[in-house]
Amino acid sequence: MSALKESDLRLFVDSVRRYFDVTSRIEPEITSAYLGVDAMPGHDFNGIVSFSGRYRGQVVVSLPAAALKELLLIQKETDLSQSSLLDAVGEIANTLAGNARRTLGKDLEISVPKVVHGKPSGGTRTRQHPYVITFRWNRYPGVVCVDLAEAA
Amino acid sequence: MKLLVVDDSNMVRSRIARVVQSGTLGEVTLLGLARNGEEALRAARTAAPDVVTMDLTMPEMDGLECIPVLLAMHPRTRILVISALDDKSTAIRALRLGAHGFLPKPFTDDGLQLALKGLFEHHL
Repeated sequence: MSALKESDLRLFVDSVRRYFDVTSRIEPEITSAYLGVDAMPGHDFNGIVSFSGRYRGQVVVSLPAAALKELLLIQKETDLSQSSLLDAVGEIANTLAGNARRTLGKDLEISVPKVVHGKPSGGTRTRQHPYVITFRWNRYPGVVCVDLAEAA
Repeated sequence: MKLLVVDDSNMVRSRIARVVQSGTLGEVTLLGLARNGEEALRAARTAAPDVVTMDLTMPEMDGLECIPVLLAMHPRTRILVISALDDKSTAIRALRLGAHGFLPKPFTDDGLQLALKGLFEHHL
């Protein structure tokens, strides 16, 4: 099993920028990108997409409620319930994962997003050191954790 | 013009509905909001949609499964695929199955209006 190349990981950084820029016209600032060692940083609303095929593992998008409410309001959405916030973070994860296929290849299978309210438990990692991208969008922090490895 | 919106995300369904109901695309009747291919086919059994916006990655029945079944029921219906799976092979596969357009996610309201306008005009 081999790791993602730096150029492959770059696509997730670009996807985060593009997602928020296109949907809100506010570009996020990427505050750090590093190999995670301990518990992954995270927020209360989490969207998780699993990968299989050429790569296996998952991508997790983690945002606080305030960020998701702001994103929904910008899109003129009036339903700011918890289920609406979970739906939104799931859709962001789905979009980032789907866009990755353009670079990682059509043989990549992508699950429908799973959504979790509350800090992620960590669970089983595919990589010992997942790639962590932290960003700030419209004053709010966010995290994308890329835990992918090429299948043997 | 009767429009059916198919996407498993409530955020996306609502946004598309707001854009089409803003009036910039002319008179559009929202036939329904479906969360997957099965719900889309149920809605299409009651009335034929002129245009469908179709997500691809959805639970129960995905967009690529739904497109040929829906077109067999209503051959004149025009389908705009709106998906995060924006690689060329997926777009070609959707078009070969009979879709008429492809709008990658994330999308702007202007991009959506432009894509829908093209399909509405072709349907006239």
